[in-house]
Amino acid sequence: MKNALKMLLGIVTSFAGFIEVGSLSTSAQAGSVFGFQLLWALALAVLGVAALVEMAGRMAACSHHSLAAAIREHFGAHFHAVPFLAEMLLDLLVLAAEIGGMAIAVRLLSGTALVFWVLPAALLVWLLLWKGTFGMIQNGVSWLGLVSVCFGVVGAFVVALVRLHPAWGEVARGFVPSAPHHHPARYAFMAVSILGATISPYLLNFYASGAVEEKWSEKDLMVNRFVAWLGMGFGGMISMGVMAVSASVLHPRGIDVDSYEQAALMLVPPFGRWGLVLFAASLGVGCFGAALEIALNVAYTVAQALGWNWSEDLAPRDDARFCLVYTAVVALAALVVLSGIDPLRLTLLSMALTVMVLPIVVFPFLVLLNDEAYLGGHTNGPLGNAVVVVIVAAGFLMALVAVPLEILGG
Amino acid sequence: MDLVRELLDNQVVDGRGTRMGKVDGIVLELREDGPPRVAFLEIGASALAHRFSPLLGRWMEALAQHLGVSDGQPLRVPPSRLTEAGVDLRLDLDCRETSAMAWEGWVSRKIVRRIPGSGW
Repeated sequence: MKNALKMLLGIVTSFAGFIEVGSLSTSAQAGSVFGFQLLWALALAVLGVAALVEMAGRMAACSHHSLAAAIREHFGAHFHAVPFLAEMLLDLLVLAAEIGGMAIAVRLLSGTALVFWVLPAALLVWLLLWKGTFGMIQNGVSWLGLVSVCFGVVGAFVVALVRLHPAWGEVARGFVPSAPHHHPARYAFMAVSILGATISPYLLNFYASGAVEEKWSEKDLMVNRFVAWLGMGFGGMISMGVMAVSASVLHPRGIDVDSYEQAALMLVPPFGRWGLVLFAASLGVGCFGAALEIALNVAYTVAQALGWNWSEDLAPRDDARFCLVYTAVVALAALVVLSGIDPLRLTLLSMALTVMVLPIVVFPFLVLLNDEAYLGGHTNGPLGNAVVVVIVAAGFLMALVAVPLEILGG
Repeated sequence: MDLVRELLDNQVVDGRGTRMGKVDGIVLELREDGPPRVAFLEIGASALAHRFSPLLGRWMEALAQHLGVSDGQPLRVPPSRLTEAGVDLRLDLDCRETSAMAWEGWVSRKIVRRIPGSGW
């Protein structure tokens, strides 16, 4: 019973991560521009992230170490500095995008200017971290996830899809990679952004840190496997639903999503004006959950790199440096949003940058997963290694071509 | 024992299991009548900073002195205090009585305490 509850909680927490700003905007944009044609990229990304999350949880259960701690121990401080700094920068950008997403959700509902809502959104994130415990945040995120999944996302996007009667043959063909009929550079950039939005480095370390906080052991390996594959699988289906609705509604009308206002239109034909409310609510709730996880992950990563005592369950006075780190990063992220950078562009760019950084984060992690000192008898099999290497390397090579083209072209 | 692989950068926990830092440096003692041996393990931000650049190390030291955190020197622990050496290294001391927690205490007293709801 306890295991079942643990599993349910974990699954809901992990698919809450698919309703956030990165997944929502890349799926919406890809669907609006290329119809169903990029569904394969999403399927590949979900396979990659599920495999990686399972590995992160397995390492935490077997060694009680997360990857941030283990990479410094195994490869030394000099080597570790590179993935560490890369992840800090990415987490800051993505956190800014999530706080921006929360503010946009309020703007969509109220019509007021974005700037008014950035500081309240950041303050809300910080307050929950400051006063909350790990269990409370995890439960909170999963209840939020559950509510938004029941009423919002699954409801909205699945019902929308059924009401829209898409050409199911075309949907199925989307799972087979094919050359685009137009804008090949844009197509590659979108595929890269989808990979980056789905395979988030913060997700891996956050998940592993949570497993350490909850004192997982080798007994929990089965729970870990279910949570990783089911959570990521369900989450991936939500993203596919978003892409398919966007492909059915926006693509035929020639609407190319370049702002959140346009993305929100996709739920209007199936639901009328309630569609806008549903979209804004899903966006706001998803971004809030993701912002909590990212801010907490920055504190985990710094504390684990420097060997500090860390736990979200301690009061700030007993965990002062840890709490100072998330306080600082939430403030910094709010400043990034307030600098006036376009939130959708910031999101898409940080997703693509993620893919470029992924190899330096993931390959050292794979080395550790094949090390018996950390994993005991539970090291990776050849299939797991191969899946991750192929997906990460393919994404990196595509990003190498697509990101410079997008920056020059944009 | 491979010092770099098995000691340097590993997690250090105290006698109660509290994480107190990483092995940020190792001090070797050169002997005329034998191979060099480990004199101290160093734990502290200035030792870590020193490995990246001596200038950065001195800057960290000066910062700690200027703010009144500590004398800026890393904590030095003789290897005889080591009770367990696996992925984590366990020491038979209480971290609250060492300078390894100087920054933690300073941040807690000087910054966190001033923010409402900190548990102070």
